[in-house]
Amino acid sequence: MGREAILKSIKNNKPDLLSIPEIDVTQFTEEVNLIEVFKNNVNLVGGNIKEVDPQDIDVEIKKMYPNAEKIVSVADECSLGTVQISGKTDPHELNSIDLAIIKGSLGVAENGAVWISENEIVVRALPFITNDLVIVLPKDQLYLHLLHAYEIIGKRERRFGLFLSGPSKTADIEQCLVIGAQGAISLTVILI
Amino acid sequence: MSHAKQAEIFNKNEAKVNWHDKALWYVREKRDNSAHNVKGWEHLRDSASGIKAHVLSNLDEYLIQFEQNALQNGIKVHWASDAEEHNTIIHEILKDHKAEKVVKSKSMLTEECHLNPYLEEKGIEVIDTDLGERIVQLAKEPPSHIVLPAIHKTKEEVDVLFQEHLGTKASQGDPEYLTNAARKHLRGKFLNADVAITGVNFAVADTGGFVVCTNEGNADMGAHLAKVHIACMGIEKIIPKEGHLGIFLRLLARSATGQPITTYSSHFNKPTEGKEIHIVIVDNGRTEQLSREDFRASLHCIRCGACMNTCPIYRRSGGHSYDATIPGPIGSILSPGKDLKKHSSLPFASTLCGSCSNVCPVKINIHEQLYKWRQIIVKEQPQPVVKKSILKMTGTVFSKPGLYSFIGKSARFALKYAPKSLIYSKLNAWGKARDLPEVKNENFDDWYKKRSKNNG
Ligand code: SF4
Repeated sequence: MGREAILKSIKNNKPDLLSIPEIDVTQFTEEVNLIEVFKNNVNLVGGNIKEVDPQDIDVEIKKMYPNAEKIVSVADECSLGTVQISGKTDPHELNSIDLAIIKGSLGVAENGAVWISENEIVVRALPFITNDLVIVLPKDQLYLHLLHAYEIIGKRERRFGLFLSGPSKTADIEQCLVIGAQGAISLTVILI
Repeated sequence: MSHAKQAEIFNKNEAKVNWHDKALWYVREKRDNSAHNVKGWEHLRDSASGIKAHVLSNLDEYLIQFEQNALQNGIKVHWASDAEEHNTIIHEILKDHKAEKVVKSKSMLTEECHLNPYLEEKGIEVIDTDLGERIVQLAKEPPSHIVLPAIHKTKEEVDVLFQEHLGTKASQGDPEYLTNAARKHLRGKFLNADVAITGVNFAVADTGGFVVCTNEGNADMGAHLAKVHIACMGIEKIIPKEGHLGIFLRLLARSATGQPITTYSSHFNKPTEGKEIHIVIVDNGRTEQLSREDFRASLHCIRCGACMNTCPIYRRSGGHSYDATIPGPIGSILSPGKDLKKHSSLPFASTLCGSCSNVCPVKINIHEQLYKWRQIIVKEQPQPVVKKSILKMTGTVFSKPGLYSFIGKSARFALKYAPKSLIYSKLNAWGKARDLPEVKNENFDDWYKKRSKNNG
C-alpha cells in the first residue's frame, strides 16, 4: 500500500524534469604534495601517521603498542597476529581484541580518510570493535580528493566498505573533544 | 506554546544561554575555516544543490531504481506512507526475529516517527547509542539539535544523570571520564542487541547501496554485531550515482562541525552471509512538501545543522523552543508544512538575516522560505496586533526594496524614542536579555557616507 501511494504522489507532485548539473572536477584540482597534505590531515583528525620501511612494520607496531596481547593482523606485511579470524568468526568474539592491523586500499589527502573494503577486514566489525587500530597503506595510493577516490573505488565488488578518518570521537559533552567513543580509541596509519 | 514563550523559558538561565550562543558560534567558525580550505567550495555547493533539485524532479524513478538494485543485492525494502506505517513495519521485523533488544544510531526520521515510545510500549528495549542521544534519552528529553543532540546540557547535568543511571562517581562533569563510562555501558548494549536501527545519510540509486556517517562508530558497532540491520530513510535521501557522494561527503562534515569528513562513512551494499539488511523508505508528509513549489527545496536538506549553528535566534533560544523534531531555520520551514497551526510561530523566529541560506551546503533559500511562510500564516491565522503591524511593514519593505533605507531609518528612530517596554515586546523573548546596541544619531550608512566624504 505504501509503495504505490508514495510513487503516485511523487509523480503528481514533482516538478518538470530538471537536468543534472555538470560537475567540473578541474575546479577542485590543486598542485599539492599529496603525502604531506595527507599526513597533516590524519593528524588533524586525531590519528597518528608514520612512514615505515615494509620490513620494519612489526618492530614499529610493537614499539607503539607494547602491551597489546590479543592481536588480529589481516595485513600481509605484518606477522604480529595472535588471534586468527575468518569469514565465519562471530564478531562478538572480537570484543576482547587489543589491536587490529588491517590494510587500506587508498588514502584521501584532503581529509585523511582511508578506504577500507570488506575483503581487507574479513569481519566487518573488526576496525570498530578493536581497542586500537593500525592501517597499513601504500603511499602510492593517495588521491587528492573524494571525487577522485570514488572513481578509483567505482570498479570494486560492492559489499561493505568505508572511509575511515581518525579514531572514534565525540564532543557531545559540552563540546569537549574526547577521543575514543564507541569505536577504536586510537588510529595509526603506516605508510609504506 | 509559541516559540517566543518557550524561548523565554530557555532564557531564564542567562549564563547557560550565553554559553550555548558562544559554543554554537564557535562551531560555525570551525565550519568557515574548513570551508575556506576547500578549493572550489562554491562549485561543490552549486553541484549539490543542482543534484538535489534534479533528484526531486525525477524522484519516483530514482526510488524505483534504488529499490531494484537493493533487492538484487539481497536487501529487503519496505515503504511507509506515514509514521504509523513506519513503526508498524519495524515492529513486524522485530517480531519475526523475536527481538527484544534494539540499539539505535542517530536518525532524525525515527525521532520524527516517535519510534522509541512506540517500541517501548511493546516491551522492547531501545537504546540510543550516539552519546548525545543517550544523554537526552536518559534525561527523557528530545534532542535539541540535529547534530549536537545534547548541546543544551551542561557537563554537570550529564554528571548527575550518569551517576543516577550508569552508576558513575561524581566527577564535576569530567568529559573524558563520562565518555568512557558511556563507552563501557554502550559496549554491553551492542554485544547483547538483537537488532540495530540506523538512519541513512545517502541512498544511491545506481548501486542500491546506502551510506551512514558517524563520528563515534556507533552505527557500525550496532549494524555489524546484530543479526538484523534496519535502516530508515526519508524519500529525499536518494542521490543518482555513487560518484555524487564525492560532492556530498565533502560538504557534510565540513558544514556540520568543521571536520573534513566524519570519522566513519560506511557504505552498505549487501548483507553479510546469514544476516539481514532492511530498508524502510518513508514519506510522512514529504510528497506533500514536494507539491509546494515555494517550499520544495527544503527537501534538499542533508541535515548538517549549519543553519542552526549560525542562527542568532536558535543560538539564544535553544532547540527545544521550536517544539519540533527538526529545530532551527530548516525546522521552521519544514514544520509548518506538517502542522501549520501548531507551528505557526516558527517562521517568525528569525531575523531574516539570511545567514542560514549563506552557510547551507545545498543552497536552500531558507530565509526566503521563512518569509513566504509568514505571508501564508498571516493570511490564515489570527495574529496578535503587534505582530500584524510589524508584518505589514516588513511586507511592504520586501515588496518594494527601494523603501528599505527609509524604513531602516525610521526603525532606528523608533528604537531611539520608543519606550523600552515596547521594543522589548513579549514577542521578542530571545532579545530580552540583551540590550540593543546604543543608537547613535546616524545609522551606519549615513555615518559611512559622511566619513568617506570627510576623508575624500
Ligand atoms: S537546511 Fe542546509 S544548513 Fe540547514 S541542516 Fe539542512 S543542509 Fe544543513
